[in-house]
Amino acid sequence: MHTHLKLIFVLLALSVASTAVAQTSQADQDKEELKMAALEALMSAPSDLALPLVIKVLNGNNSDNLKESALFILSQIDHPDATAKLLEFARSGDGGMQLEAIRMIGINGEDEAIAGLTDIYAAGDADVREAVLEAYLIADDVEGVFNIAMNTQSEDEYEEAVETLAAMGAHEALSKLREAKGPSDALITAYIISDNDAELRKIALDGSDIELQIEAIEALGIVGANDADAVLVEIYRSTASEDIKEAALVGLLIGDHDDAILALYRASNNVVEKRDLLEALVVMDSDSMMEVIEEALGDQ
Amino acid sequence: MNNDEKKLCDELNLAKEIPAPADMQRRWHDSIDRAVRHEYAMRPEPARPFNFTSFFWGAAVTAALVAGIGIGAFFTAGPTAIQPNSIVAQNTSTANSAVPGAFTRSLRVHLRDTQQNIASMPIESAEDRTLLVLQIIQQNRIFERAAEQNNSDGLARVLRAFEPILLRLAVDNIAAEDADALREQLAFEFRVMLTKLKRDTSNDTHST
Repeated sequence: MHTHLKLIFVLLALSVASTAVAQTSQADQDKEELKMAALEALMSAPSDLALPLVIKVLNGNNSDNLKESALFILSQIDHPDATAKLLEFARSGDGGMQLEAIRMIGINGEDEAIAGLTDIYAAGDADVREAVLEAYLIADDVEGVFNIAMNTQSEDEYEEAVETLAAMGAHEALSKLREAKGPSDALITAYIISDNDAELRKIALDGSDIELQIEAIEALGIVGANDADAVLVEIYRSTASEDIKEAALVGLLIGDHDDAILALYRASNNVVEKRDLLEALVVMDSDSMMEVIEEALGDQ
Repeated sequence: MNNDEKKLCDELNLAKEIPAPADMQRRWHDSIDRAVRHEYAMRPEPARPFNFTSFFWGAAVTAALVAGIGIGAFFTAGPTAIQPNSIVAQNTSTANSAVPGAFTRSLRVHLRDTQQNIASMPIESAEDRTLLVLQIIQQNRIFERAAEQNNSDGLARVLRAFEPILLRLAVDNIAAEDADALREQLAFEFRVMLTKLKRDTSNDTHST
């Protein structure tokens, strides 16, 4: 009986305690939601009134979630102190706060803050570097990404910068990179993404690296420029290399240029070559396939 | 195929399966991968029929129509709405002050509808979620371009900044708690931008 009373008492105590914890947790959540609503409302206030309050939230003992939201408000305030605070967090913030501050610098777009990204990139780890590239993309700062691509010694970083330039549609910067650093696999991919057939054409006609040349020729078919078929046919006809010929055929196949392949078929007197071209028409499920077969039968 | 055609195919070895050399196969696979990536990049919307039975898609289509009409109105109203003398220098965000009203209104509709769509997003269905996010991204890019054309760089940057977050949300294997956090972040940023747009519009009205 005594044990039962003890057990009931413990259960009651636990119940009261859990209710109290739940109430505290609910109260904390309510408080957080109220602070978040207040932050939002700050956006309708004049900058000079909003700024000190946002900085107070950032310096105070608040949750990371609330502080990250405060950083967004800060990015929308046109004031040198707001820019300075963003830079401060981007340089010395912890983990998520630092990455969020870097993103906000991109959104803020102030020249001084954007200029500060160079050092942050150089001192940062892989996550920070990725965040900096994203900030440049948000700010549409081609020069920042171009400088990273030009100065990095790391192949991975170079590729990421090139990829970012492609996403930004930075044709000129990507052309300059080819001139400065030579063609590369990363650049070919970037030219495909940014639909830059002019640069692909240069690599496709440059015989200094046959592997890259082959990739560029095939890429011309992927990009599908207006006269890609004519260029690929010209490459096919003018080369003595079987690999280049094969790449041009692949380019025509990917680009769905069955008329061009048909023309090559009809112009050829070589049975082996004709067979390859007919195979390509079969793979493409071309309407010309049966026509070609009938023509060939007629010749027999 | 008649007999003659079969005979020719046999002669040309078309019927026989001749394995291509390994390096050639690798190159073909690489090319196909690249082609697929390119197709994906060029077509943010997967070619798939809409499920019109879903209320969710109904809302998305409505949002697209409203935004489309808004953008149409913006481009139509563009030349008459942008008056050099209407730029108000008193506000700190002068770039936004010059934004035509039609654009601002349609942007507000876009932000509000996107906010609602993201809030009611089907987290459990990765495919539906991805499709919706890709639609939102496409619409977002339209507004981003409109903001750029209107010299509203600040708005263009914010709209551009939404895209990486949206892309993270579209990932197949995102954990429910991560998706919730991203949705909350986007919801907050949308609300802040709506407040800012309202403030700027209000300032314009008061100063003109």
